[in-house]
Amino acid sequence: MIQTLNRILIGFAFLLLAYLFIVYVAYAVNLIQFPFDYDQGEGFELVDVMMFSQFKFPYADIESYPFYGSIYPPLYHVILVPLAWIFGAEYWYGRLFSFITTLITAMLIGYAVYKETIRRTPDANHFITRWVAVLAGLVFLASNIVYHIGPLFRQHISMVMFETAAVVVLAHVNEIQHTRRRRYVLFVGFALLIAAGYTKQLAAFTAIAVLIFLFIRNPRRALTWGAGFTLVGMGIFAALTILTNGHWWTQTIVANVKDFDLNQAEGLFRLFIRTHLWLVIPALLMIVYEVYLDRISIYAIWFVVTLGLSAYSAGTWGAGDSYYATAVAAMAILSGIFAARTLTNGWGLPRFTRILSTLGLIVIPLLYIEYAVGVFHTPTTEFFFRQVTDALNIEDNTGYNYYDPDGYITLAYAQIGHFTTDADIQNGNRIVDHIAAIPPDVPVLSEEAAFSFATDREVITNPVVLYILDQVGAYDSSELVAMIEAQDFGLIVLRAQFFPPAVNRAITIYYEETERIPMNGFDYIILYPRDEPLIE
Amino acid sequence: MLRQNFSFTKRQLGYLLIGLGIIAFVGIISVDIIRAGGEGGIGPAQRIALGLAGLLVLLGISLIPLGDRLA
Repeated sequence: MIQTLNRILIGFAFLLLAYLFIVYVAYAVNLIQFPFDYDQGEGFELVDVMMFSQFKFPYADIESYPFYGSIYPPLYHVILVPLAWIFGAEYWYGRLFSFITTLITAMLIGYAVYKETIRRTPDANHFITRWVAVLAGLVFLASNIVYHIGPLFRQHISMVMFETAAVVVLAHVNEIQHTRRRRYVLFVGFALLIAAGYTKQLAAFTAIAVLIFLFIRNPRRALTWGAGFTLVGMGIFAALTILTNGHWWTQTIVANVKDFDLNQAEGLFRLFIRTHLWLVIPALLMIVYEVYLDRISIYAIWFVVTLGLSAYSAGTWGAGDSYYATAVAAMAILSGIFAARTLTNGWGLPRFTRILSTLGLIVIPLLYIEYAVGVFHTPTTEFFFRQVTDALNIEDNTGYNYYDPDGYITLAYAQIGHFTTDADIQNGNRIVDHIAAIPPDVPVLSEEAAFSFATDREVITNPVVLYILDQVGAYDSSELVAMIEAQDFGLIVLRAQFFPPAVNRAITIYYEETERIPMNGFDYIILYPRDEPLIE
Repeated sequence: MLRQNFSFTKRQLGYLLIGLGIIAFVGIISVDIIRAGGEGGIGPAQRIALGLAGLLVLLGISLIPLGDRLA
């Protein structure tokens, strides 16, 4: 009876997570075909790729024309360079690459759950363990946080793949008796950590977790390899600083010292707990078990460190829910191990094993079902999804034919996830038409790079970089403001108005809005030079 | 500690966490005093950090009775 109920519940959990996977694939396919920026800043990632493909650094002098800089490390962009050589400046390959990295991460999560279970209990039911491993992989892809950024032309999710790979590789490195093999595994693990760090700076949290784990297990090894890791990381850092005349330092380090907003951090933490609670619970129980009754695993330390530090850093300017993506990966592994161990009698607690297993047959699938409900997101109008949402009585709560577990309410929660439409592409082309009408020798200031690519123009400025360096007193906007005052730009296209205040003020005085064109839920403001500047 | 095969026991890890928690607690208070000149009080972010430092100490204390089992 209980076995049958267990199978029905597991089947239902799988069905829900599989549906969310279908939504994810559909979202990825939709975005891969979209020719403009979907998430703010994607176009500037493409600019970085194109610059690297021409053997130029994007870390340049932002105070002089074309005022362009980048705040992100180079690995993601460098990986895409061969595709840039073949296909030119296109969005699809960056998004496809990101999407593939999420699938690899999900497979790594499933692999970790399976191996950890079988390693501890070799005679565990392999069939059940494999099913739980599949569920754990789907859990990662089903998270609304991972879904948001999975198929974007952004480097964050590739960083998560490298982090996960590093942690999985290093999980049992201390048990390897053969010295050469152990050193080889340590080398691969640390190389993956460096890859993660040079994909995005946030990987430092995973590096801290890994070093804590190694220190607890073997301080000597941790200090030796930690010193080597730091030396190599700093060596690359110093080389980049020298090669870019110090701009790498300014743009990747100084620019990341940003204001902290406790309300934003608290809101995002509450959102994470609200949507992921049902698998955070088994992950925490797994940690308690390891701390008091077993050895503390790398996954436990990884989850605690990345959750804590991500929760804090999510409160900084420009941060968002994506900062929790690494913690989601760690949570999926820990909760997966907890589930597999419960379902396969692997706890090693003789008095309770039978009771736990019987309870687990019902509770474990319910946890996965509740999790799927907590993170549930879906389009509400597309073919197939409309039928499902109608049947389940789920309605659009974002205004973009899309149901989101937050409803785009929480501060700094990414208001993305909805599908792009033909109208979005048409409206993007209307913006392109505006730019194309400007003579080629007259520069155009566009807050997103896509339109400059579409019209074969030079990309001028990366507003976010200017803004955050302005906030820390490391940017002088005089030259850009002088160009605006001289009305050197034939047209300005704004979206979020992320320019420094002085630049925004100059734009308001010397340019006038003629039209607002909606695309992906954002209004793009078209501004032409005023006949007479506004009086200051 | 730097022996070839040294690994922390639960008790040693407990002592380490207590030490780190106390250092963090004192450090947060000290930074507040130095930066604000003793004025302004402790903000909400610092209160959370102090709470976490306290938790670290409590976790450390709870590990001591577990003795020489490997952490």
